[in-house]
Amino acid sequence: MQDEKDFIQELLNPKTQNVAFQKLLRDYQRPLYNHIRNIVLNHDDADDVLQNTFIKVFQYLKDFKGESKLFSWMYRIATNEAITFIKQKAKRNGTTSESMQTRIVDNLRADTFFDGNEIQIKLQKAVALLPEKQQLVFKMKYYEEIKYEELSEILGTSVGALKASYHHAVKKIEDFVKNN
Amino acid sequence: MKNFNLGNEPKITSGFTTPDGYFDTFSEKVLAQLPKQQPKVISIFSSKKNWYFAVAAILILILSIPLFTKYSTQQEEIDSATLENYIAYQSNISEEEIVNLLEQDDLDKMKLDFNIDDAAIEDALKSNSNLEQYLID
Repeated sequence: MQDEKDFIQELLNPKTQNVAFQKLLRDYQRPLYNHIRNIVLNHDDADDVLQNTFIKVFQYLKDFKGESKLFSWMYRIATNEAITFIKQKAKRNGTTSESMQTRIVDNLRADTFFDGNEIQIKLQKAVALLPEKQQLVFKMKYYEEIKYEELSEILGTSVGALKASYHHAVKKIEDFVKNN
Repeated sequence: MKNFNLGNEPKITSGFTTPDGYFDTFSEKVLAQLPKQQPKVISIFSSKKNWYFAVAAILILILSIPLFTKYSTQQEEIDSATLENYIAYQSNISEEEIVNLLEQDDLDKMKLDFNIDDAAIEDALKSNSNLEQYLID
């Protein structure tokens, strides 16, 4: 935790800021990309959202109180950015984010930056049918393997509620795969 | 897929990939955009500075209210006292000076004051016991 405080100080100090921010980018670009990509599904959109996320992190770093871990704080920004992005995109296209996500998943095979087999596509389709919160919990727990305690800090939900959400999600996914 | 159980299956990954070398150039792409954000940081700071000035000005105004009222009432007291004293003891204005200050209008008004009828003069003279003395003089 002390290391993290020192690191935040380095990020805020104009002399060390550049080097520290490059380290932050190196450490977090891949996990945050995966997180955002799992929500927005498309590479180009994920690239846009990831850039915005890091720019926001840089902008608001001086307001970061250290009440939560830097990791959770950045995930929270990334999640908000990604969800806001898909909602705005759906609105621009005159549709809902749910039907837009289903359409993208149905066309995954045509995506240049998707290399999945039948079961991977089936899982994506099953996930796209879940309610928004369950989708988020399932993606973060199953694909990204984030611990419940950390999930709780990122999403501001109790561990018990998260476990229940994940359990429901898994049941629905298993039913979908069995029946399709 | 009749007995599909996610926990028993080998891990299923998302299947998403990225263009080759995407993460090698990503940092540069973000860093190139950061200086554009700097003026915002400065503007927030300067607006904060303006707030400090505004608060300081208001504080000075509030603090100066008791001083102002005290000062202004004191001045009033001194003024009236000085004026009275001046009129009572210090004035050395001669009658001639007062006459010089009188305008034609003032003189006309004064004339009216003396427009008294003969009966009134007679009455006044009759009631005056020193009349005879005045006549002798």
